Amino acid sequence: MSAYTGITVSREALIANYATVADRVAPAGVIAVVKANGYGHGALDAARAFVDAGAEWLGVADLDEGIALRQAGVDRHVRILAWLHAPDEDFRRAAQYDVTPAVSSVEQLAAAADSEVPAVHLCVDTGLSRNGAVESEWAELFAVAGRIRQQGGRTRVEGLMSHLSNASRADDLDQDAALRRALDGLAANGVVPDVVHLAASAAGIAVPETRHDAARVGLALYGLSPFADRTSADLGLRPAMRVTAAVLRTVPVPAGDGVSYGYTWRAATDTRLAVIGLGYSDGFDRDFGNHVSVRIGDRRFPVVGRVAMNAMHIDIGDADVQVGDEVVLWGDPADGDPAVEEWATAIGTINYEVVARVGRSVERRTT
Amino acid sequence: MNAPLRRARIDLDAYRSNLDLVRGWMEPVEVMAIMKADAYGHGLEPIALAAVDAGVRWIGVLTVPDALRLRAIGVGEDVHLFTWQHDPALDFRDAIDSAVDLGVSNAAELQRVVDAVDQRPARVHLGVDSGLHRDGATPDAWPALVALAVDAQRAGRIEVVAAYTHLAESSDDDDSAAVAVFDAAVAQAEDLGLDVPFEHVAASLAGLERKEFRKDMVRMGANLFGIPGADGVSAADLGLEPVMTLTASVAKTKRVPVDTGVSYDYTYRTARETTLALVPVGYADGVPRRAQGRVEVTIAGRRYPVAGRVAMDQFLVDVGDDDVRVGDTVVLFGTGEHDEMTVIEWGEALGTIGEEITCRIGARVPREYEGHEVEGRVGSWLRGEQP
Repeated sequence: MSAYTGITVSREALIANYATVADRVAPAGVIAVVKANGYGHGALDAARAFVDAGAEWLGVADLDEGIALRQAGVDRHVRILAWLHAPDEDFRRAAQYDVTPAVSSVEQLAAAADSEVPAVHLCVDTGLSRNGAVESEWAELFAVAGRIRQQGGRTRVEGLMSHLSNASRADDLDQDAALRRALDGLAANGVVPDVVHLAASAAGIAVPETRHDAARVGLALYGLSPFADRTSADLGLRPAMRVTAAVLRTVPVPAGDGVSYGYTWRAATDTRLAVIGLGYSDGFDRDFGNHVSVRIGDRRFPVVGRVAMNAMHIDIGDADVQVGDEVVLWGDPADGDPAVEEWATAIGTINYEVVARVGRSVERRTT
Repeated sequence: MNAPLRRARIDLDAYRSNLDLVRGWMEPVEVMAIMKADAYGHGLEPIALAAVDAGVRWIGVLTVPDALRLRAIGVGEDVHLFTWQHDPALDFRDAIDSAVDLGVSNAAELQRVVDAVDQRPARVHLGVDSGLHRDGATPDAWPALVALAVDAQRAGRIEVVAAYTHLAESSDDDDSAAVAVFDAAVAQAEDLGLDVPFEHVAASLAGLERKEFRKDMVRMGANLFGIPGADGVSAADLGLEPVMTLTASVAKTKRVPVDTGVSYDYTYRTARETTLALVPVGYADGVPRRAQGRVEVTIAGRRYPVAGRVAMDQFLVDVGDDDVRVGDTVVLFGTGEHDEMTVIEWGEALGTIGEEITCRIGARVPREYEGHEVEGRVGSWLRGEQP
């Protein structure tokens, strides 16, 4: 028997996390975010798990992602929201596939209305300076929204959204105040959106004032913590992604020998190495080498030498490790697996980036 | 749509031109075109068809499933497909039936190959671990591998095509020592009664710089994509052309006041009233999160630094008072001809190598192929026609 090389996603964990998050943010709802291939977990399987767990809303970045979900069979009673649009997007395909656009400008709102998209959300910038109309543009945007409502067109302004910077609690509350100004501005034009959403994972958990009607939650649904000082377990979450690889080869290495490109690691004593077939082209940074450890059996072993395009080395010493044995790169620490946060910290980044950048070359299965 | 959110343009003419140049340099030594990792992120099938049309007869693809992808689109057996990293659970039968060349690292692996042989003998390259410690047999394990190969070849089960190794490219001395290990292994194989008809040792870097390492064939990967690996050497210095150009369309512009915080954690604040442009490419698409403050993009030939954190799907640039509009093309990296950064410069700025960047450009970025090759077999494949 040889171990599986790839990503295994626990459907059970996704469902449990959804329940935990839904409970946490109630009475606000949850928009389950499955953009970027479900943060690397596989968008379709993640979407199905969240829908089975009760999700009524899915969030994606762009229309292509939303349409792909529809084409794969995500039922139209599940709403899909997309907020990042190509410059000349005319939104006809949004109407065709029933993907609800969040629009950031008068042009986008007009294009969506022209295409008779049934519902739109307005996206306003309350401080992140990213997507969303800036405050100086609100008067015009809201006036157009009011006119569309008055004219009784097919398009309804259903929602209002913004995105937080997570810079600090005070900054988040400033943004919340700005969102409330936007709501007032809309109301002055006769538009009262049903679904107001501001918070994502971090504020959804930590800043209750920002929850409004729904929290757009991605990371936490995959069982990961958005906070540097709180683990998944602290939040009652279960990391859903487990990355494993089969040992391809073991090789004895005498003391003093270098390993992998550039010989960035040399054996201090006679030892043995295990090679696995995952490398930087699969999404594992070159710099992980010499900075992380993996689990084989019940023990941890360091990854040594530079991660190559399709392979990395593990120093197994005299442990009884054979070709075909399972190497766990990360999983649920509650099961004794390394945490993905160890990998993130090793290269100075966040868990989001590590999971989202595991490549399309890596096999994925949901169990 | 005319202005997609993001795309990677793949210039097949540039690939072809690099190929011609490199083959000229290596003459009379054979060149194996390496296309592992989905042709370094450029797309395996179009690159392979372009190479085959250019007369390439050796392609390296790392794994058997990738080799079978190429056989399935009509890459014939006159093109040798070299694979050298095999899952322990892989059944070699399909590979042998399709005349896929198998690099083997030890006697146990060769035995699995031999056991899978039905009619046709398996085409085998014997790997020597000369110091990289990734694949190949160590000097201690080599005699057993050779002995099994001698027996299996005599029994008509395999054909020993070549011996090969990978170099660590750590230093000239280390590489010289590694080639000495390889040469000794080949000599030992001959002593054990095995004729080694063909040898390949060097990849892109050593193939260029160490003529004595070229043996019968050089495995060329990064050079063919216009990403030479030597420190301080640009593609242009060598006459190579970068094959991939990564672009996006400005998705939003906004005028903001002085001291506006930008993106998560407000790690960038505007120094004056300015315009921010939203670039819809993020770390999920392959722009590392650490790119803030390290890389610059171009819009209409002008350079702008990344402002604030790169997010999962997007980042911002501060364009000052320039007339930048929604729909304008943002070049993240390209050939450098219009003052944009090259992917080599990205690698240097981000503390890695260009190949890591191209390999990790994500699935949301459509690859669009251009160049005259698109008219030929590549075009047929891209249009979904059967071979």
